[in-house]
Amino acid sequence: MGKITASKRQLAWVFDLNKCIGCQTCSVACKVLWPGEDPGTEAQWWMTVNTQPGKGTPRGWEEMGGGYDANGKLSLGRIPTDEEVGGGWNFNYDEVLRGEGGQGRKHLQKISGSKTWGMNWDEDEGGGEFPNAYFFYLPRLCNHCTEPACLEACPNDAIFKREEDGLVLRDEEKCRGAQMCRRACPYKKIYFNRMRNVSQHCIGCFPRVEQGVAPACVRQCPGRAAFIGFLDDSSTAVGKLVNQWKVALPLHPEKGTHPNVYYVPPLSPAPLREDGSFDEAAPRIPPAYLESLFGPAVHGALDVLKSELDRKRRGQDSELMDTLILYRWKDALGHLTRDPADIVWDRSK
Amino acid sequence: MSTTKGSWADAYRKKWTWDRVTWGSHSVDCYPGGCPWQVYTRDGKIVREEQSGSLPPVEAGIPDMNPMGCQKGASWSHCHYSPDRVTQPMKRVGERGDGKFVPVSWDEATDAIADAMLDAIAEQGPESILTLLTPEPGAAPARLFAQALGTPTTDGNAEFQDFSPGFHVTWGLFNPVSSMDDWFLAELTLIWHANPVYTNIHWYHYLAESRYNGGEIVTIAPDYSPSAIHADYHMPIRIGTDAALALAMCKVIIDGELYQKQFVQEQTDLPLLVRKDTGRFLRGSEVFPGDRVDQFFWWDALSGTLTPAPRHTLATTGVDPALDGSYEVLLADGTKVEVEPAFARLRRHLDDYTPEKASKICEVHPDNIRALARKVASRKTKLFVGWNSGKYYHGDLMERSLALLLGLTGNWGKKGTGTRSWAIMGMDGSAFMSRKDAPGQEAAQRLIAGLIGMRRMLSAGDPTLTPEMIQNRAAELAAEIGGQGAVMPPAFLWYFQYGYKERWDDPENHDPSFKRSFGEYLEEAISKGWWDARYSSLYRDMEPRVLIEAGGNMLRRQRGGRKLLVEKLWPKLKMVVSIDYRITTTGLYSDYILPAAQHYEKLGNSMPSVHHLNFVLCDRATPPAGEALADWDIGVKLVEAIERRAAARGMKEFKDCKGTVRPLHGLVKQLTLDGAVRDEEKRFDEAVRDSAVYGVLPKGTTLETLRQTGYARFSNWGMVGHGISQASTIKTNEVHNPFRWHTEDKVPYDTLVRRAQFYIDHEWFLESGEGFPTHKEPPPAGGKNRRFQMTSGHNRWSIHSMNMTNNIILNTHRGEPFAFINDKEAAELGIANGDKVRVTSNAGSMLIQAKITPSCRPGQVIVYNGFEPYMHENWYSQADVEPGHVKPLGLVGNYGHLKYRLFSWQPIPADRAVRVDVEKA
Repeated sequence: MGKITASKRQLAWVFDLNKCIGCQTCSVACKVLWPGEDPGTEAQWWMTVNTQPGKGTPRGWEEMGGGYDANGKLSLGRIPTDEEVGGGWNFNYDEVLRGEGGQGRKHLQKISGSKTWGMNWDEDEGGGEFPNAYFFYLPRLCNHCTEPACLEACPNDAIFKREEDGLVLRDEEKCRGAQMCRRACPYKKIYFNRMRNVSQHCIGCFPRVEQGVAPACVRQCPGRAAFIGFLDDSSTAVGKLVNQWKVALPLHPEKGTHPNVYYVPPLSPAPLREDGSFDEAAPRIPPAYLESLFGPAVHGALDVLKSELDRKRRGQDSELMDTLILYRWKDALGHLTRDPADIVWDRSK
Repeated sequence: MSTTKGSWADAYRKKWTWDRVTWGSHSVDCYPGGCPWQVYTRDGKIVREEQSGSLPPVEAGIPDMNPMGCQKGASWSHCHYSPDRVTQPMKRVGERGDGKFVPVSWDEATDAIADAMLDAIAEQGPESILTLLTPEPGAAPARLFAQALGTPTTDGNAEFQDFSPGFHVTWGLFNPVSSMDDWFLAELTLIWHANPVYTNIHWYHYLAESRYNGGEIVTIAPDYSPSAIHADYHMPIRIGTDAALALAMCKVIIDGELYQKQFVQEQTDLPLLVRKDTGRFLRGSEVFPGDRVDQFFWWDALSGTLTPAPRHTLATTGVDPALDGSYEVLLADGTKVEVEPAFARLRRHLDDYTPEKASKICEVHPDNIRALARKVASRKTKLFVGWNSGKYYHGDLMERSLALLLGLTGNWGKKGTGTRSWAIMGMDGSAFMSRKDAPGQEAAQRLIAGLIGMRRMLSAGDPTLTPEMIQNRAAELAAEIGGQGAVMPPAFLWYFQYGYKERWDDPENHDPSFKRSFGEYLEEAISKGWWDARYSSLYRDMEPRVLIEAGGNMLRRQRGGRKLLVEKLWPKLKMVVSIDYRITTTGLYSDYILPAAQHYEKLGNSMPSVHHLNFVLCDRATPPAGEALADWDIGVKLVEAIERRAAARGMKEFKDCKGTVRPLHGLVKQLTLDGAVRDEEKRFDEAVRDSAVYGVLPKGTTLETLRQTGYARFSNWGMVGHGISQASTIKTNEVHNPFRWHTEDKVPYDTLVRRAQFYIDHEWFLESGEGFPTHKEPPPAGGKNRRFQMTSGHNRWSIHSMNMTNNIILNTHRGEPFAFINDKEAAELGIANGDKVRVTSNAGSMLIQAKITPSCRPGQVIVYNGFEPYMHENWYSQADVEPGHVKPLGLVGNYGHLKYRLFSWQPIPADRAVRVDVEKA
């Protein structure tokens, strides 16, 4: 079993769910850069965005267990099946475009991967009842937890937490594909590569981070909903949102792993009464549902957001709103502001 | 450096290395596009791309635009190596649609195509050769032959319908839009007929940020759309009733005296006098012998006299045009008539739109209507209108109603106000290239001096003509002469030759307020000469013979469907060519597929859009794959083949239907300035340098300077595109707002009455009750008594059908076409999530997967468009279910600004609110 050593500093992500539009640019940027579509990685999406409420990815992950119990004891959950992970599709392009599929005889179809699920299968379905339906988007990656259950569960000591920035990484040479990490992770953000017999998960874009470049999911987010920075740096947006304003909260804090990905919870439009008039006082998204995701602190966070929004609407200043507005995009990147295109590699080595 | 060691870590590090970084973007119509990307190449292969994030802020206090991009852009490199990519010229060997092709040489392919074109010219004339103005600007140079021969190009907006006809009716401007950063300044944004969460991924953040800045967002949509989730309010409006809601808000504003009186008096036609006996505007020729037909009048409340509304200015200095009352006017023939301001008539017209009455139509609570109306009247309001309204049969009425709401509240012509649509501009360098008499910038200076001189001549007879009017007159003249290839409104061609006659004449597809069939309106429009005979009556008898499409996919896109075209049009065609980097459904039905370079394999620029005002470079990261060629090289090759085959056949010249004689030699020489710009890179550099001479780009801009910065901010609109339609001057350090020439400088509009025009007194408009914007139910197109109305929209994952088959993107949704259906209704019909359903109308049917959600309105089925027909079982897609019906008023062509103008005004098929049935398949 791996042993957790505390990091000196911790990199943290913040996603503003009032800005996230579910476009999957983060997911696609990550997919293209890291797992790609090599044999064994087809179904791997280290970064995903799902519509909440929903079953997400892997399907029903919230019910699969993992993390720590109330006594701080490691609790092994179960491994999601390939069908639950979903996706990994390739298609019969050649049959349709160059084979016998002409005149409508064959249409483009999946020829590999899951038959029943994908990384964004329940996109834009959500919950509630028309006209008071509700949903929002939730981006998810490895939480680079302060108490990573995956690390503790690993029988091969393959997982380690970096001292300098707290990224939770896996030594793929030590990994033997035991998949205890997949059982232990309460967020089910670890994938299994059958071709290489190793598990794989988000690497925190460590090759970028070590060059001073922000992770792709943050730097490529067109919604300007993603922030990164050292948690202890009160000058960064991450520090302000998590520690000063306390409007950014971890997902499922009850799992006990102390995640380092934080979320600004979603506001939502006023619901309609039976007669079609607006009920300004009532929430559209049930508070209990939000609490089930972000814990009881979500109510206070929403109150702060609303009151600061109200300040702006009354023509007053709000440092919180200005932080979320993000006048200068680079302010989302913490210390990781380097332009990757400026890097020149010596590839002769 | 990190402490992380090991070969596994180095393997990851190695993945993120490259040999070369080039600027890239996508020369596609993902309006507004303009995202600066950096393309990373390793070992001669494009490995990935990433947004540059390099745009400086424009105006102090407003967020910057970084990092513009989306998931499609972030995986575009994947399409370069996708299995649907074509890299060799291909010739069909099976039946059309079989998908059986063999590779051939470029010479063999282009000779065969050239021969088919020469055959068509000899048989019926050059008008039997068609090409389409497709939504992929990067593909445009492949259509050089149309420019060289003057053969017709069908106006793309008739096909993709990304147009706001009601705004044209009102303002006579092509889609005046602010820059994206101006959205931050809105105090109230109404997302109405738009879904920016899907379609404006790279700048939606300005809406979210305007909200954090104290603004409010209201989304008006039948469904709880993805663009409603971040709004303060969602108004679930009944499908197709938006005009009723807007007009009720107008009524609240007028009744509450909340309207901006001076703005209404000055900027709109509402003070103009209308005769009570005829319902027509009082005209100069009726009042004073010899006066103009297009002179209109106010009643000046200060002097109590009939006063001509000046044609040269909007200023109301010294007068107080009455908005109410009834007045007696002595006509030139000695008779007296009662007249009243249009505003007084509008008041009565709006009696039908009390919030209570409107609520019964649109199903929005009267209190909600009142509250929103008061907000619009008191705040800087922006309407985020997409291209959804224009795709409704009565979309013009909806948009005219929305414009009225803005007009009454003074919500245009200043920061944080206005509406949205699309406009492109500043393409002068490449557009004028072949008109230069020599290479180099001195020739560009001579050309521009000549063009300016010509415009002076155009305005010589009338000193009141504004720059907008002169621009529009020049464009009309150019179209008449057929300068850049003859672009034509295709409705007539489609009616007579594509098989639409039966459908468009079907009374079920029309509003009962039109007493006659579509065909009768069409015949009247032709017989009265409202439309150039070259494209209106010519195609009664002339059959299309050659169809060449570059960068488009008409068998996916055309409303009315693949089946109709394959059955009715295709048999007439002796040559069908698809020029593309991929095999589309249209490609599968083509005789030849010519392989085009992908977007990182050629030089170009992304959509030059008013939204961002940047000229963004698409550089060449790698050479074109295989035998693929840049579109420019394909264009030149085709024209070379035409010259070669014409010489071999002894054809020296030909006549078009107007009798103009056109040569079949010397064409390439002219297009390439005698070879000086034959090379793609030289030509692009020349176009950029010329644009700097024309003032469109900053002085000193060259390909080399663009390779340093990736982009240049436009310095002026130029003559090519819709820049002048912005009616505003680009400011270096400020966001852009249209209309300022009108609101600040009091320059008249290019409408019949030279003001924003809410009352249209054309006989067809009056006879159908559409003088003022009004609400009409969508006609039961698709079939009466069908349970559902099918709505649509641009999807999240593709640009039209480009990128739709990208394997990465397919994995981010269900990987196949789907339709949203309401959960309760699905349960009633026994349809489970993921079931295959059949969607049927009177036009046809398709099979599609059902996605069940409470966000979908009962009675609504939502199919986001862009799926290739070949992604559907039997290849029947959404377009096969749409009748593609057309509102007859688009045929009006004799009324001020209501006449054919490229993209702006023409008959356009509708596709929203089609009546369908849905059943489990």
